[in-house]
Amino acid sequence: MTRHTTLLAIRGLALFGALTLSLVGCNNKASTDIKFAPYGTTYQSKPDFAEIEQQYPLTPEAVAKLTPEILVGLDQEQVDQIYARLTAGPIPDGAFDGGLFFPKGASGQRRLTEILGGLPGLAAELKTTKLELLGKTLWKGKVFYREKRLLRNRIEDTVLLKPLIDGDLNTIEKINVGGKEAWLLFPAKLYCGQSLLDARRESIIIDYAYSDELPGYRERPDFLAGRHGLMVRDEIRMVRPGFYLGRAYAGKAFLLSFTLYNKEIAERDGPAFMKTGQVKQDCWTGTQSAMANK
Amino acid sequence: MKPAIYFGAIGATALLVLITVFSTSEVAISAPTVEVAAIASASLTVQGAGSPAGYDEKSFNAAAVALSDSERVGREIWYKSTAGNARFHAYTLPQRVGVYADWYRVLNAKERNDRFRAWGLMNDPSCCTPGSPGCPAKSLDETYGFDWCPGDEELLKFVGKDGYRDPACDLKDAPYIAAVHGAKDERQSPCDLAFGTSTGALGLRKFPNPRFDAEIWRKANGALESWEGWRKRLPRQNATGKLAQVADDALEPPFLIGQACGACHISFDPLNPPADPTHPRWDNLKGAIGNQYLRMSEILGSGMPVNSLEWQVFAHARPGTTDTSAIPTDQVNNPGTMNAIINFKQRPTFSGERVVKWRGAKSCASGAPAATCWCEPGRTEKCWQREEQVENVHHILKGGEDSIGIREAVQRVYFNIGSCSEACWVNHLTDMRQLDPNARNFGQTPFNIGQCRRDCPNFRAIEDRLGNIVEFLVSKENYNTDLHVARDIERKKKSSGAKYDYKDLVADLEKEFGKGAVTRGQEVFAQTCARCHSSISESEGGPFKNRDFRALDPKTGLRADWMGNDQATKVSEVGTYRCRALHSNHMTGHVYQEYGSETLRARPSDPAVREEGGGGRGYYRNISLLSAWAHAPFMHNNAIGPELCGKPANKANDFDRPRYVDASGALLAKDKQPACWAYDPSVEGRFKLFKESVRQLLSPDQRLPKITLFDEDVTIDIGPKILDGDGDRELRGFSVVLPAGSKVASLGNFLHKRFIDDMVLSKLRPSELQARLVKQYGEKDGKEIAGLLSRTADTALKNPKELVSAVKREPRLLDIYSSCTATVENGGHTFGQDLPDADKKALTAFLSTL
Repeated sequence: MTRHTTLLAIRGLALFGALTLSLVGCNNKASTDIKFAPYGTTYQSKPDFAEIEQQYPLTPEAVAKLTPEILVGLDQEQVDQIYARLTAGPIPDGAFDGGLFFPKGASGQRRLTEILGGLPGLAAELKTTKLELLGKTLWKGKVFYREKRLLRNRIEDTVLLKPLIDGDLNTIEKINVGGKEAWLLFPAKLYCGQSLLDARRESIIIDYAYSDELPGYRERPDFLAGRHGLMVRDEIRMVRPGFYLGRAYAGKAFLLSFTLYNKEIAERDGPAFMKTGQVKQDCWTGTQSAMANK
Repeated sequence: MKPAIYFGAIGATALLVLITVFSTSEVAISAPTVEVAAIASASLTVQGAGSPAGYDEKSFNAAAVALSDSERVGREIWYKSTAGNARFHAYTLPQRVGVYADWYRVLNAKERNDRFRAWGLMNDPSCCTPGSPGCPAKSLDETYGFDWCPGDEELLKFVGKDGYRDPACDLKDAPYIAAVHGAKDERQSPCDLAFGTSTGALGLRKFPNPRFDAEIWRKANGALESWEGWRKRLPRQNATGKLAQVADDALEPPFLIGQACGACHISFDPLNPPADPTHPRWDNLKGAIGNQYLRMSEILGSGMPVNSLEWQVFAHARPGTTDTSAIPTDQVNNPGTMNAIINFKQRPTFSGERVVKWRGAKSCASGAPAATCWCEPGRTEKCWQREEQVENVHHILKGGEDSIGIREAVQRVYFNIGSCSEACWVNHLTDMRQLDPNARNFGQTPFNIGQCRRDCPNFRAIEDRLGNIVEFLVSKENYNTDLHVARDIERKKKSSGAKYDYKDLVADLEKEFGKGAVTRGQEVFAQTCARCHSSISESEGGPFKNRDFRALDPKTGLRADWMGNDQATKVSEVGTYRCRALHSNHMTGHVYQEYGSETLRARPSDPAVREEGGGGRGYYRNISLLSAWAHAPFMHNNAIGPELCGKPANKANDFDRPRYVDASGALLAKDKQPACWAYDPSVEGRFKLFKESVRQLLSPDQRLPKITLFDEDVTIDIGPKILDGDGDRELRGFSVVLPAGSKVASLGNFLHKRFIDDMVLSKLRPSELQARLVKQYGEKDGKEIAGLLSRTADTALKNPKELVSAVKREPRLLDIYSSCTATVENGGHTFGQDLPDADKKALTAFLSTL
């Protein structure tokens, strides 16, 4: 492991602020039964979320068919329209597998490529999935400690990160999920707070800003996500029990979307949700009388 | 060039303009003139009824004894109703907008006596410092360090708990009127008015935070009364030392703070000012006069470090002004006054205006789309229909915006102060960090009043009582305040048999300004000022030279002339600081589109203004000169006249900053800066300030120019950061430093998104960019600008840190990409400058009588 490689790895994390693991490939085109309000390319043409929710409320049946793979295949406006119609649901508990994907424009290409793809020397780099692969390699998901309002990230036990971690590596807490062991790093606070996309109801916030106050904090590498580093802030809403859709920001600038999935919870609580469409809400659900409050 | 660096470079300016929203209503209303003796008598009566030791609601209610039921309800809403905006201040403003208020710094009980001097807030006469004699709370722990106020005996039980029953639920509504309220009394529950209890500062209301955890609070702060852990700057800062613990959104404070209209509008009664401004009584206060001392911008930014961009760009407004388009930002930096609401029944209206809005209806046609007709579920004959009609409307805001009706103008105030933010309008604001023109929130979109009515119960609660609020605004509490009446009351306080009337005032003015000054002043006024500052035109009321400007309207008993015609004047003709006239939030496609009339938006742009116009921009309405003696300094930004300051004991809260500059725009040396004038709400203090402000107004050549400049270096972090170096803990992105002395407006008005997009375009599709610029600026200039952008992009790509200096080296770029390039804040309005000195004095004397 060279220093250069290590720095490259961290750059990947830092650039995308994504302390999440990619379980899915990219550019999959998958279909969904979910209806979307018509929209154009410009920001002015994007319909109001309140009206989308009023005219195209999500049904339990529709979200039951959603998968991480389907979400990856959607363009960003479609992802946004789904996210806005979700509620925060219960603050999760336990280990979740994660997947990340980047904003795509209407052309199906990454939005970054659409904007800057013509810059000399940049196109090739933008087309690569190197950074996504890097995220997939390092990042396995998140572990929620609901009662403590604490979260930690599952990081692959690989040589890649070792030079950047302080102290005795044996003292780092580990977790075994599905027979795979991972380090627990990058702690964060959990609370209900403002969505930076849709203000109409709260999201569950995963906030790394003051992670140095949390148990298990290790200056290196955890500072990277905190207020001395990239100021990462994630927000998630529940698609259905055990399945959350998230958005990652650095310094309040949107970077990417991610999914979190816990099969056990999905199988345990999914059937009841399908019957009623109801789920415990830990966060403020807003005042629009649509799916959120029914 | 690495992509990350490139993004850093083009994103550099993305963080330059982070927006705060400083709310104030800009409704300017007025009410009738009544007999001078009656005003004095009423004032004295209320004075007697108020009890300075009454820590209950009795004194507040006693001050409304002369009002009708409807006016009383309107008053109570004006003073107390937040319409649910506590969530805006607690969550939306910090988390979504990125601006942190340090409410403990503003409202802690220990500094109650410094609150007015520091923040310009009016202390609530019914509140007390825990532990003080007679105060129901005995320790600061009981109130979490805040004042104790009426209703807290109940509210404090619910800190950290659900189930609080808002005092608004007990509002005794005005009687139901079928003609107004419909077939049944189906007004939205008054609970949704959301009163909470006073914070100790009038208009700022507190609510128990159900998420508060006493154990976590004690651990973070040491004691319940302390907020030090919540507030402290941590030993280890972020890269630029700017992040405060206030920014830890996970730590929930005991209270959520909301704001009523009164926060910006309640102030001292010019007729009956308090002996001690820190301890006013209810009869020393007026609800809608406009708080000329308030530092709302500093209050809302009080949790931001002084070297942050947000503080330096927005927390600079003069006392009594605030930038109401700071949160719903249009990137036009334009603080304006909280208008005095005086004699509104006499205020001019304009007929024949095309107004698209929702109007009450009994039913909707079958199949009518909800976008044009909608009935409130569960209500009888309570429907709303949206269509265009020709109406007679007021022109309310500085440029005449809010022009679809007086009720709607009041309604919009609630959005300005944060109400229904989450349900209705935050999703329609610009995200200053969003640089992708295809992405949501790249720019504003209009919010939908119909959707807001449907989804926000607080909106409906206010809407159902707008009539009460308007009636309060035109009530006796908001009549003109004449100088001779103020002096009469002052004298009566010293000797009950004393008397001072209009004739006495004229005599005193003539002693000061010369024999016959008032009469001569009226002639000068008729010749020089009345064409704008009379609401009764010569065609309607006869020649100005024969006019009695103080004549009463027999229908209302008020002064017939509102002393301002409210007509829109091209900003180049007025010549005052033009940025406010370029305000764009009411344009088509912008956030407040639905509060502007089609007639407003059809106004032609001012050809003498260099910046982009159209869509209704480029105008100011003039102001009413009623009670002008009590409302200096002048102009929409309070810039003509002395600078005012509070001189608080806590110097950390002293926000006065030098603004006088030399001809080159550089700040004058400290010893050359004219001293600020300390707040003095006394009758003679107001009059002294008025006279000096008029002197400066009429003698523009003697005005020292004022420009607001950064008083600290500002380091702007550019994101996203990357780790890209030899040091394995070294985060690089880069920062740019804007030095103290930079012009606030230049930064606040800089259209960074347009600039960045064009720089990118100059590299990706240069011919497309050039074609657009040629079309816009002509062949020669268009090509030059395109080249300039390309070279600037090259500089940014090569060395991102050079971007700001590269822009500075090319003033033309600042011009092209600024919404407003004006810098001197106290120029213009040169009318009367050529008058002989004697006439200027005479005019001052006459204006003193209005």
